[in-house]
Amino acid sequence: MSMECGVFHTRYESDMGLRPRPAQRIRLAVLAVFVLVFPFLASSYWLDLANQVAIATVGAIGLNILVGYTGQISLGQGAFMAIGAYTAGLLTLNLGVPWGASVFCACILTAVAGTFFGLPSLRLKGLYLAIATLAAQEIVEWGMTHWTAVTGGTEAIVLPAPRIFGLRLNSTFNFYWLAVLTAAGTALFAANLFRSRIGRAFEAVRDQDIAASVIGVDLFRTKLLAFATSSFFVGLAGAMIAFYRNIITWERFTLNTSIVYLAMIIVGGLGSIRGSFLGAALITLLPALITNMGRAIQDTAPQAASLLPYGQQAVFGIVIILFLVFEPRGLSKLWGNVKDYFHVWPFAYRRGENRAN
Amino acid sequence: MSETDGVQAGVGRRTAGWERALAGGRALVAAGAAMLLCVACGGDGADADDNSIKVGAIFDLTGPTADVGTDYGDGVRGFADWANARGGIEGRPIDLIFQDYGYQVDRAEQLYSQFVNEGAVIFMGWGTGDTEALRMRVAEDEIPFSSASLSHRLGDPAEAPYNFLLATTYSDQFRIALDWIARTHGEGTPIVALMHNASPFGLSPANQGGIEFARARGIDLTLYEMPRGAVDFTAEFSRIRQSGAQYVVFQNTSGPAAVALQNARSLGLDVTFFCLNWCSNAQVVRLAGDAAEGLMGTMPYAPLSVDVPGTRVIREYLESRGESAEGKTNAYTQGWWTFAAFAEGMRRVLAEGDELTGANIKAALETLSDYDMGGVTAPVTLTSTNHRGSGGLRIFRVEDGAWVPFTDFVQAPAS
Repeated sequence: MSMECGVFHTRYESDMGLRPRPAQRIRLAVLAVFVLVFPFLASSYWLDLANQVAIATVGAIGLNILVGYTGQISLGQGAFMAIGAYTAGLLTLNLGVPWGASVFCACILTAVAGTFFGLPSLRLKGLYLAIATLAAQEIVEWGMTHWTAVTGGTEAIVLPAPRIFGLRLNSTFNFYWLAVLTAAGTALFAANLFRSRIGRAFEAVRDQDIAASVIGVDLFRTKLLAFATSSFFVGLAGAMIAFYRNIITWERFTLNTSIVYLAMIIVGGLGSIRGSFLGAALITLLPALITNMGRAIQDTAPQAASLLPYGQQAVFGIVIILFLVFEPRGLSKLWGNVKDYFHVWPFAYRRGENRAN
Repeated sequence: MSETDGVQAGVGRRTAGWERALAGGRALVAAGAAMLLCVACGGDGADADDNSIKVGAIFDLTGPTADVGTDYGDGVRGFADWANARGGIEGRPIDLIFQDYGYQVDRAEQLYSQFVNEGAVIFMGWGTGDTEALRMRVAEDEIPFSSASLSHRLGDPAEAPYNFLLATTYSDQFRIALDWIARTHGEGTPIVALMHNASPFGLSPANQGGIEFARARGIDLTLYEMPRGAVDFTAEFSRIRQSGAQYVVFQNTSGPAAVALQNARSLGLDVTFFCLNWCSNAQVVRLAGDAAEGLMGTMPYAPLSVDVPGTRVIREYLESRGESAEGKTNAYTQGWWTFAAFAEGMRRVLAEGDELTGANIKAALETLSDYDMGGVTAPVTLTSTNHRGSGGLRIFRVEDGAWVPFTDFVQAPAS
């Protein structure tokens, strides 16, 4: 009688699969079932939150491709989302381009803009690059509020609702499917990207750019490609927001947005697709959570509840500090720890006992 | 293996405490993350009291407009409290559900969908940005929406069918100020500088008819942007001085306006200052001190220091709670009376015996005709084609550190 202990792969294909272990496939199936069932059980409030999380996930994966995987810091997230949103919106509104096509054009244009603003990355690193991308943010912000002929200045732009076969897509329920599909597609693309030659080149640039160039990675091309790929998805997130909300206001794409997205990938886990999702979910749900906590204690401790809004900003900061100090690899690593624990459960190797011997 | 163990043990002795703290911290982060997941899923509680009327509201208590937002929020809450002590609306208590949203569009959207989901029949909004962002959704959900933003466009039912503005819009206020300038200026061309907040709110008086009006009345108008968080406007004022402007109009909140007033005084700028809505309040006088003397203000809502029935009821309420009206700005009056007018709309629906739906409340609000706001604003009239409640206001002026009425109610001139 023989019993398999562990997972054995007998073919290269199975070893190199995206999810080589049965446990991973089971988890994926559970997640898929949850995603399919959730909208039928959730109220419109939770659906709206889910849609926000899905959009944020697309944006966070985009940013993570650049920051987490390629090591190029960017403070221009809000600007790139704005380019996506305005391009998609204005193409549909002024030229009557179907929404699907205009979203695609928006992604392409954002990728081009991202590449342009990524040009300084050849010479600049770290803090200096951060400042250069901050300039991009400011320029675009100024552009969208002052280029009145195109963006309508500071006025909001109202878009026609996106439809498919006469079905309105931007109700919370309908948009959920679109958002989840897009987020899943983005995650799948990104996960596979980093199994490819180009993706590995991104990571090599992040880990040690000189070494990468020595082994034949074209630094300039790779960095710009990272900016383009990243911006493509960031623009997609922006375009999604535009069509989901039906209305574009510049106040949604300020520097604050850039920082919130950076927080997402830091808390979630730099260089992790799973982390992008977890971070996007946490940062989107955190304010909702604090709101609900405040309302829960409103009757029992009104004093504390009235102070809570002021604490919110602080909580946001504390969460990021705690993660940077105690778990720099973010929620993604925490989830990894949980998995590792159960992987060998209940026969875990304990460090302390070993020491005693 | 043993070698590395030895090294680790050596280092370990020194850093054991830190490591333990780190491990503890990791556990804390893990526990916190787990807790967040639990609590995040548990906040959907709805109250059992079916008789109550749910009203959703968002206030800016922590964001960039919190200086006036806090008083506005207190005013809304004050009215709910006052009305409930008198039996609510037609015997049904008001259940005001509100939260701070920090002037963030995303937060406003979250809270709006949450409160509407919990059964809010009307919604008290705040800023121009979030009101614009919610405009389409509000119309779709049929939720009558008041905003403290007085952007002219939001009062046009063709563009925003469920948005209501009770007070004079920013552009009407601006036109009233320009009209006063044109009438009293005397010789020469009046040169006016509009210093505005860098936002839709800031530009709305100029973009929605102000520029055309100035041209028609022969006023030389130039716009100057006040960057957010700026503490010095020397550059703007030197340009204003060069332009030879005799009048400076602020479209900003009281904090930045007060900074600019003091700035102008230290530069020795001799012009007449005008404050539109959000800086013509007690706060700007408190912050700017002597520099606010002689400041003119288009003030759609009377401050509590002015004695009219509409402010008396607020002062009595505050006294009964042991609070002082001192230090409360006219944003308090605005919050109170905006809600009061909506409550009147809801009362009319209930008095007719109709169901309290958004569409019914909208229809009832559109029957308000010369509705008396206790004298704090000009009487309010709303129709199905006009959601701008009142086209008139009094111009106030700061004398000896207090706002006093300078004119009687004046109607905004036609654009």
